[in-house]
Amino acid sequence: MNKTIEYIRPADINEAVNFLDLNGNNTVTIAGGTDVMIDLRSGEISPEYLLDISRLPDIHGIGMKDGLLHIGAGSTINIIARSQDVYRFAPSLTKATETFAVPQIRNMATIGGNVAHCSPCGDTVPSLLVHEAYAVVHSISGVKHIPVSDIASGPYLTNIKKNELISSFVLKPVTDSQFSNFEKIGRRKALAISRMNMAVILSKSNNGTVDFIRFALGAATPVSKRIEEIENFLIGQKPVEKILWQAGKKLADIMVAISGRRPSTIYKEKAVQGLFLRLLHPVINCK
Amino acid sequence: MKEAMTTSIGKSIKKIDAVEKLTGKPVFCADFGFENSLVLKVLRSPYAHALINSIDTEMALKISGVKGVLTAVDIPGKNVLGIINKDQPLLAENKVRCIGEPVALIAAENEEAAEKAMAAISVSYEELPAVFSAEESLKENAPVIHEKGNLLAKKTIARGNADQEFQNCAAVIENTYTTSHIEHVYLEPDAGAGYVNDDGLLVVYASTQNPHYDLKEIISLLELDEQQVRVIQTATGGGFGSRLDLNLAGFVALALYHLKQSVRLIYSREEVFLATAKRHPLKITMKTGADKTGKLLAIKARILCDTGAYGSYGIAVAARSAVHSAGPYSVEHVDVESSCVYTNNPFSGAMRGFGAPQVAFAYESQMDLLADALKIDPLEIRQVNALQNGSVTITGQKLEESVGIGNCIEAIRSHYKDACQNQFIKNTRPYQKRGIGIGCMLYGIGNTGTKNPASARIEIDQEGTITVFTGCADIGQGSTTIFTQIAAEVLGVTTDHIKICTADTKFTPNAGATSASRQTYISGNAIKQAADKMADTLLDQAASHLNADKANLILTNEYAVITNNPDKKVSFSDLAVSLHKKEDDTCWHGFFDPQTTPLDENGQGAPYATYAFACQLAIVSVDTLTGEVNVEKIVAAHDVGKAIHPEQVKGQICGGIAMGLGFALMEEFEPGKTISMKDYHIPTSIDIPDIEPIIIESNEPSGPFGAKGVGEPALIPTSPAILNALNNALGERIYSLPANLERVLEACIKSGNFEPKENDNE
Repeated sequence: MNKTIEYIRPADINEAVNFLDLNGNNTVTIAGGTDVMIDLRSGEISPEYLLDISRLPDIHGIGMKDGLLHIGAGSTINIIARSQDVYRFAPSLTKATETFAVPQIRNMATIGGNVAHCSPCGDTVPSLLVHEAYAVVHSISGVKHIPVSDIASGPYLTNIKKNELISSFVLKPVTDSQFSNFEKIGRRKALAISRMNMAVILSKSNNGTVDFIRFALGAATPVSKRIEEIENFLIGQKPVEKILWQAGKKLADIMVAISGRRPSTIYKEKAVQGLFLRLLHPVINCK
Repeated sequence: MKEAMTTSIGKSIKKIDAVEKLTGKPVFCADFGFENSLVLKVLRSPYAHALINSIDTEMALKISGVKGVLTAVDIPGKNVLGIINKDQPLLAENKVRCIGEPVALIAAENEEAAEKAMAAISVSYEELPAVFSAEESLKENAPVIHEKGNLLAKKTIARGNADQEFQNCAAVIENTYTTSHIEHVYLEPDAGAGYVNDDGLLVVYASTQNPHYDLKEIISLLELDEQQVRVIQTATGGGFGSRLDLNLAGFVALALYHLKQSVRLIYSREEVFLATAKRHPLKITMKTGADKTGKLLAIKARILCDTGAYGSYGIAVAARSAVHSAGPYSVEHVDVESSCVYTNNPFSGAMRGFGAPQVAFAYESQMDLLADALKIDPLEIRQVNALQNGSVTITGQKLEESVGIGNCIEAIRSHYKDACQNQFIKNTRPYQKRGIGIGCMLYGIGNTGTKNPASARIEIDQEGTITVFTGCADIGQGSTTIFTQIAAEVLGVTTDHIKICTADTKFTPNAGATSASRQTYISGNAIKQAADKMADTLLDQAASHLNADKANLILTNEYAVITNNPDKKVSFSDLAVSLHKKEDDTCWHGFFDPQTTPLDENGQGAPYATYAFACQLAIVSVDTLTGEVNVEKIVAAHDVGKAIHPEQVKGQICGGIAMGLGFALMEEFEPGKTISMKDYHIPTSIDIPDIEPIIIESNEPSGPFGAKGVGEPALIPTSPAILNALNNALGERIYSLPANLERVLEACIKSGNFEPKENDNE
């Protein structure tokens, strides 16, 4: 408590990773601070250094490059919510960021922080998963790519090492023929940690059957994840209401198998079916 | 003079302090920065029920910067608090009865030293078995929480023969309803500050709803005279009942008494959650019977109020929940018992409505169930039973005038009809259901069948400046503005000519608590009386000045003027100068105590001099796949007698609806689990529906310019209206609050709304 914390603001990403290489174990990286400040106040973390990366030019910017959507890790949720590129190439992420927390938090919080914090409830993660996004990770040894699906090893446990820094996320964009959606449930309409969230990308063939799907579930399992059993179940099926209910039921069983039964399961195993239907209901009638 | 020429009443003048609040000027307790102020911290019990064998403060006192560690033995007077019943120590003596109970008070030069001292105090506890439900607490072998027993109070209302009358009913409905612990979540976390002046006076700044009561408690704790302590209300960011308790002022005063140095105490939101009162959770079993026309014949209710470790305002909650258990309806046969029970939960106290919101949820659910059983429209069954002028309440009180419930219901009728017509048309999304619900209420203004007077004073100086003195704490609701309007109206001046001094025990007379929706009615009357006396003196003086008949004079724009000869006039300042010269009194006192009679052993009497009434309509939509509820619209008709400041009345209605929506759908404090606003959800601005307030003015003859009150009534009909709307949407009723995601989805499943649609399209 009341320990002095040294505040460091590196000029560029090399300076940042060099600092982390020396002091990573005693450093907390801060960008928007919407999680860090709370953990500092509660005493959950008590680092010697706060490394403020928010103004590093290397972690900002959103755009298409070589057919992939690049989103700087330092992009605030609000910037992503307003990005035309994101709206066009990753519309489920637009929806997730538009309804994220409240405007005050959206103005500060960054996508990098949302992913790196590894909260099971992070609202940007399911979208990143269905876009098969990877993180561009820097350290003094160079640059590597880590799939977003490999970043969290458990609730609030990250595989990003103390000497590493995420600079951006790279997403496979949706095509015009693909349907994409994000849904979540909260205890109120804003500023509510998601009880459950999910994202999907889907397309139908000419005969109306599903020929492509990626689906991810969040806040219902220890880490957000793609649920391939559901994807496999729906491939080749016509996504009619009955089938979607069946898929939702299957999804509930999978969720319970992963997370076990707890008091909240009574609600969640029904709600996950319900939310799944809401997520995909628009595709019943669309081509 | 007596002709009605409202210059101020009914006008939404600029609220006093609005500009200051918007520009950040008001000084809250946490803003005080006296030089060398000591930091206070409170050490609290980690146990729900335990004996204290010893408290060792030696190590803590050795820490550099620590100026004092005070425990129960350092309290020179009576270590017991409570405005209705005294049972709560400021600092625990030999036993703690809930988690968070204060055990020691630390004073230090800085936060760090205070924190270290907290950790260094060694308290030897011996844990006792604890009980966390009112029902369990009343069982024979339950742990004994207070020596006098776990039943704090029981209030009975007995009239006619309910059990027998149920046999004559065409429909009888019986159900059990439960509500949760609720946290007030006022905007400003509690804080306190104080200093000792050169004369040894203890000056205590408090964020409070009742500075004069705080003073009484402090002098009793410290065995001092009234002249030795001064309590000043600072800017206060809401209260909703919790700041009727002596939340911090006792600690501030105790530290000042011993250390003679300025101090400050600031709670974090977590400490507010841990340390202050909650709304009583109630368990209400209610049986209601009606004849085939829907006319209520009998009600029976058994109510359990969990007051937690201490009484606080629990007895008032027991009394009010009983008295209000039939709602705004006539019913001849009544058998109601409300028991207030100690448990080892955090103590419950006053919160906006004192039990009335909880019972409204029950009686209004019952009304809809009766309507359904008898195939009567929900609005009609309410109108059939609505109290009228001349009706007799369940306490045997004949209501002579100002019974506006019928008008409130009629004001809702057209909105209700429109909503019913649009209910299915506007269903756009699959798996979404829309519902419409009504909630009505009555609410007694002021304390229940006890004296609860207010005093006020008004003065004029030689420059003609008029100053009102009132002990009433304006905690944001706007009483100060109302009082200037009342004084200005009587004296024929505009409100900017009225100065007002509030809530400072050194200068202001006791106005009682800002609670029970009482200040406009009670203090408003006291101020009006003082102003009337002053007007009378000024007119007397002017009559002799102008050599005119007093009956031909009026007061206007700071002059006494001859009605038919406006050029002949004398200014207030001239009148004041001559009064001062004559050494006549230039200070007038007002006093008002509503006419009530105490309730007898059968709960019969006239507990309130007047009642407010309301009817609200809620339109909700439910996502039947997830249990999410969207409250689309609330239309709220409130009989306030007379709206002295219509915009403030509307503000109260909107704020009450926000709070009622939280109570209905999301708020639940779970003792031992809920820590802060992270896990306690109140509605955000986008959760608030479109609100249409409708003001009904039934004119209360005993009220100042006909006014009653609206502070608590605003909240009461909202949760029943929403819950009835949910039932209307789903065809399945929820009997426990809050109607959260889990309960609503369960109702969706039970009612068959959570199922694949039959006609599967391709």
